[in-house]
Amino acid sequence: MSVQAATSLPAPAARPAAIAFGIALAAAVVGIVLPLLVASPVTLSLATQGLTNAILATSVGFLIRQSGFVSFGHATFFGMGAYVTGLLLKHTGLALEAILPLAIALPAALAFVVGLVVVRVSGVAFSMLTLAVAQVFYEIVVKWRDFAGGDDGLSVTLPPRVFGLPTTLFQEPGDMFRIVWVTLVVILFLLFLLARSRFGRLCFAIKDNEERARFIGYRTLMPRALVFAISAAIGSIGGVLFVLYNGFVSPDVLHWTMSGSALVMAIIGGAEFLIGPAIGAVVFLAAKDKLGDITEHWQAIIGFTLILVTVRWPHGLVGTIWHWIRRRGRGGRA
Amino acid sequence: MTIHILNGFVYGGLLYILSVGLVLIFGLRRVVNFAHGGLFMVGAYVGYAVALHAGFFTGLAAAIAVLAAIGILLDIGVFRPLQRHDPLLTVLVTFGILLILEDLVRSIWGKDYVTVSVPALLSGNVEFLGLQYPVYRLMVIALALVTMAGLTLWLKRSAIGLHVRASSVDAVTTAMQGVNTDRVSATVVGIGAALAGMSGVVAGPLLTLSPSMGSYILVDCFIVVVVGGLGSFTGAFLAAMAIGQIHNFGIVYLPWAASSIPFLIMIGVLIWRPQGLAGGAST
Amino acid sequence: MTTPALQGIGLSRHYGGFAALRNVDIAVPAGEIRGLIGPNGAGKSTLIDVLSGRAGKWSGQVLMAGTDVSRHSPQMRRRHGMARSFQRTSIFPNLAVREQLELAAHHGGGVDEVLEQLKLDGLGTGPASELSYGDQRRLDLALALIGRPRVLLLDEPAAGLTVQESLDLARLLRDLVKSWGVTVLLVEHDMEVVFSICDRITVLHLGERLMEGTPDEVRRSPEVVTAYLGRSAH
Repeated sequence: MSVQAATSLPAPAARPAAIAFGIALAAAVVGIVLPLLVASPVTLSLATQGLTNAILATSVGFLIRQSGFVSFGHATFFGMGAYVTGLLLKHTGLALEAILPLAIALPAALAFVVGLVVVRVSGVAFSMLTLAVAQVFYEIVVKWRDFAGGDDGLSVTLPPRVFGLPTTLFQEPGDMFRIVWVTLVVILFLLFLLARSRFGRLCFAIKDNEERARFIGYRTLMPRALVFAISAAIGSIGGVLFVLYNGFVSPDVLHWTMSGSALVMAIIGGAEFLIGPAIGAVVFLAAKDKLGDITEHWQAIIGFTLILVTVRWPHGLVGTIWHWIRRRGRGGRA
Repeated sequence: MTIHILNGFVYGGLLYILSVGLVLIFGLRRVVNFAHGGLFMVGAYVGYAVALHAGFFTGLAAAIAVLAAIGILLDIGVFRPLQRHDPLLTVLVTFGILLILEDLVRSIWGKDYVTVSVPALLSGNVEFLGLQYPVYRLMVIALALVTMAGLTLWLKRSAIGLHVRASSVDAVTTAMQGVNTDRVSATVVGIGAALAGMSGVVAGPLLTLSPSMGSYILVDCFIVVVVGGLGSFTGAFLAAMAIGQIHNFGIVYLPWAASSIPFLIMIGVLIWRPQGLAGGAST
Repeated sequence: MTTPALQGIGLSRHYGGFAALRNVDIAVPAGEIRGLIGPNGAGKSTLIDVLSGRAGKWSGQVLMAGTDVSRHSPQMRRRHGMARSFQRTSIFPNLAVREQLELAAHHGGGVDEVLEQLKLDGLGTGPASELSYGDQRRLDLALALIGRPRVLLLDEPAAGLTVQESLDLARLLRDLVKSWGVTVLLVEHDMEVVFSICDRITVLHLGERLMEGTPDEVRRSPEVVTAYLGRSAH
């Protein structure tokens, strides 16, 4: 029995990765075909915006899932991705090929440094601090009129080509939908691999019992700061895609209601699950579109939904469905 | 120079009255009330609306009463049912409340800025430390000191105060000693909310009113609480005064960096002492 | 005289004005099982915390085989070969048994061996929080044993175990000393376990070292009897 278990161990470890790769591939194909079936450019455009938000929500959910920390300021990284792209294009002669990696690396580096400090405090204090960081960053951008355009925002003119491709791709709803969709799928697949890796396992362990992790010989500060940085990098990818698509960025994307909505999307979808936040974002934005008439009170609706979901369905949409299927499965076997 | 220091104490005093309510609630319930800025903002608007008809001081009293009632409801409706759950759950719920409160105030009073004038009784200047200084601002400093003295006395003398102090040092042991936290906490959260309301009204003539004023000051308030050491009353006072000074000097001498300096100081304090200046209660 | 595997020199720890540990010296030679006893509040757990790097503010020196590890963090001490268990069970509640042991083993193996030694094999792939109390206690111990540490600090490993489980544990510890020469410092309330497996015993009282000797010497010491055994013996 034990021999059998030992020899069959590597197989189940490899198989989920292969299955996930298959699913990711299929999802990518679906995304590439989808724009052909949707005639309305307005719908496609909305969906593209929704997907950039889904990337931000995924980054918030990833942080919760992998480290237990709840960020109330993730719009900072989304906004930084967008602003770094815009500002470097406007004020420097750097090529877009160089700017894009920088727009992801800089927010990640900032998050890593800030992370080394803020992950040392308790979970609740972490949430307070991320809100503070975000607010400070928002005010800096609003006040920095000459450089960042202040309240009026920043228009971005793209060079004609990047990596040999015409940049008009980025501003055509159908093509951009495909780009953002595939990016999201790749991010989710990489996060899946990360969660199954030794590092991912260590992060779960630290989330579970930080002290014990130290006493079995692991540093716990660095991995947590690293998870925060990875999460920030993902958020900034969302911001970069946002600015490439819109050709414009304003301080609105840095506002704490943006961080709040991303968090709400993650919670609604179910932050315990990799795919939860992205699903949450889609549901959230679809609802926002349908409830167009009363969006004057959108903020109150977000607040109310957040309360309802945290109290009634703490596992979120995906989690609730998952637990329901598992219960039925168990019932069937018993 | 003196005038800037005094102005720093005015803002510090406001921050203290607001933050200490947060500390009270944290001390007892071990949760951070993200709606606290919202309570401050609602207090300011209630005070403003009542003052239009019945004068500033009636407005102040009304805001304190309304907010105390909201605080009691908050305890019964949110903190109590969620006390056995992860504290982050309560944080998310209070964040939701903050969003709702802002929207509510926006739909009642609009999102434009509203200014409140200084009550006639406290208008004008007075000679203080060799300069002409507004009476109202001096009264704000005095109110902060009175609040601190009153709270200290209450925490030291009353049974509830003793319980709050014990609980903010060691919540588990205090709960095990059989004190009924539920009965105490409605009072404490009520007082915390009332203090937020009071600071909102008092802030009226100093700041402009807008639905987002609460979330702005909440950030400074969080900085005060974290720098002071979560759950520490003395720490909150010292940190509020320090942040008040820094904030004010920032506005005068480094306007473009005014909002980031307190934050950088906080990061510095956290590197030096992760548990905050007077901390020990945080984990 | 050979260098002790574990040595503490002048260890003190104060909580406010209260001295939980006052200038305690302890030296445990390699391959010895050292018992650490004393009435409640004597400073046993505090001593384990100071030696393992868990305590906040303390003074003194901790040496492992002559190397000063006083400034080492818990994780550095672990990498140096020091491991500990906890009085209040400290495991990873949401990881499976094997998962957490593989993590604790770093890149070394030995997971199957420890699983077998502590009868933790066959506990499935569910989260550890679903295990029974006894299984969780043994898992806590397993997290310390994995990777063959040279020095093992055990804070009441038998707390809450049945008589049979305690006896099994005692036998296991003796086997480990024989098979890989681990050095053990053992805090234990169960006197039967302590007197049967420890080579020597250190007695703490009110934060100070009262005496140290073989089990027989400790049993016969009038000081120990008045300070400790006198009151707790039935």
